Amino acid sequence: MIRTEKLTKRFGSLAAVDGLDLEVREGEVFGFLGPNGAGKTTTLRLLCALIGATSGTAEVAGYRLGRQDSEIRAAVGILTEQPGLYERQSAWENLVFFATLYGLNGTTAARQAEHFLRLMGLWDRRLEAVATFSRGMKQKMAIARAALHEPRILFLDEPTTGLDPDAAKTVREFIVALRGQGRTVFLCTHNLDEADRLCDRIAFFRQAVIRIDTPDHLRAELYGRSTEIRLIPTPRAEDLVRVRAVAGVREAHLENGSIIVSASDPLRTNPLLVRTLVDGGAQVAYVIERKVHLEEVYLSIVEGQTS
Amino acid sequence: MTTLALARTPERGTLVRAVCVREWREALGNRLLVAMTLLPPIVILAAGIGAVAAAAANPPSDRDVQAMYAAAPAVVGLDPKEAIQGFIATYFLILFMLIPTVVPLTMAIFSVIGEKAARTLEPLLATPVGVGELLLAKSLASTIPSVIVTWLAYGIYLLSVSAIGSQAAVRAVTAPRWVLAIIVMVPLLTMLSVNLGILISTRVNDVRVAQQIGGLVVVPVVGLGIAQVTGRVVLDNEAFLQFTVILIALDVAVFIVARLAFQRENILARWR
Repeated sequence: MIRTEKLTKRFGSLAAVDGLDLEVREGEVFGFLGPNGAGKTTTLRLLCALIGATSGTAEVAGYRLGRQDSEIRAAVGILTEQPGLYERQSAWENLVFFATLYGLNGTTAARQAEHFLRLMGLWDRRLEAVATFSRGMKQKMAIARAALHEPRILFLDEPTTGLDPDAAKTVREFIVALRGQGRTVFLCTHNLDEADRLCDRIAFFRQAVIRIDTPDHLRAELYGRSTEIRLIPTPRAEDLVRVRAVAGVREAHLENGSIIVSASDPLRTNPLLVRTLVDGGAQVAYVIERKVHLEEVYLSIVEGQTS
Repeated sequence: MTTLALARTPERGTLVRAVCVREWREALGNRLLVAMTLLPPIVILAAGIGAVAAAAANPPSDRDVQAMYAAAPAVVGLDPKEAIQGFIATYFLILFMLIPTVVPLTMAIFSVIGEKAARTLEPLLATPVGVGELLLAKSLASTIPSVIVTWLAYGIYLLSVSAIGSQAAVRAVTAPRWVLAIIVMVPLLTMLSVNLGILISTRVNDVRVAQQIGGLVVVPVVGLGIAQVTGRVVLDNEAFLQFTVILIALDVAVFIVARLAFQRENILARWR
């Protein structure tokens, strides 16, 4: 759906995007993560044919960047950093205006505007000026505008920033629904928990891609797969010794009253661990897979690259 | 809602209509803009009608008549009261040429700087619409109301002068070269003002600064008025033709420069 080769964008001597190689598949939610100033917005603008590349090539929705820019803009939708709505005009007027610019005829424009206003819970306020809307409502309006023409790829730049939990949930459900329709979502976010929950794959980016993989693979590769075993009462020193002696255990330590075990194959190792502990007289309260937060992975990869 | 990618490039006529309607709605919701747009034509119209009415009511002094003969030798020999009305009526027609330089300038500046301030340009440029078409649509959105306002003001002036003025005054305002000037030069002046406004707006973020710079476009028109009153320039048919040709050349040149400044990448990466 998106393929770039050595895509580069320079502003004078500054390389905002430097030799980007990327492949985003159809129907996936692709997370694009990186620190401020990493060039994420520039990448979005490049892929949406808003600015031209200095060098390299890209294909977006089957169209060549630089040669079929108008087709690319028709095939994609973009949620920009700022909602950028016409504040004096109503929600309805805003959406119908943009639908017209996307070439939708009057009937289709009205149908799409109604569909997305209802979806975003703004139908009852459709005739009110956007200036009277809260930040969250404006953000939902901007998302509706980006999706109005049913784009094959949706570029979302920080879609849930500034939203209350309820509105953020609506947006996340919308993204999941888009994936269900076979659309591709290119998600730029600083919300790593959100990226973890929504994205099929993520790319860590700073001027160029540092790593691309699924969140689980990145976690497993960096930290292995950890298991938390809580005992009643608290674990004893001999429990930890027994755990470390189990075949397949790479590392084990105590943390907040639990034993944290890292094993190369938890499906095989965990039953052995439980049996060993029970045989040793320990009472196992629960055994859970311990998830390393994506934030730790991000910091390890992105900040690690800096140091 | 599973039909993928409904979008296509809109028809040019549809695009222009959509942009014009949106800009006009926006303009009508802005009282300051409406006031700044309507004030100049109302003032010029009221002053013109008032001046012709005053000339009709009061006979001119000998000094006024001598000054008029010096500025407009063509009226020598006419009845002074008749002639002075014709002279005043003609002078205000020159001031009518100020309307297309002032009225659209404000709208054009708001049209671009307003979008810059509201950060609405990026979503607009993300649509399949070409920037040239967008520029044209924005130009027309400012040009059309200005031309209509000027023509409307001229129509009211014509009717008023016919009702209160002398035969010479009526002849002056219905002279073919003035009718032609209103029909041809008003749109040309308007387009020049609009494209200059857009060009200035690409570099400036403050409406007031843009208006001050854009206000320079009235200087040639005012200069023309002064030259006519002092008798240094006689606006005959040949002079009108020359001005028309110069205006067309300027319109084309300024549009090309505005088009070059109005590029997606310039707008997104360099306009601050």
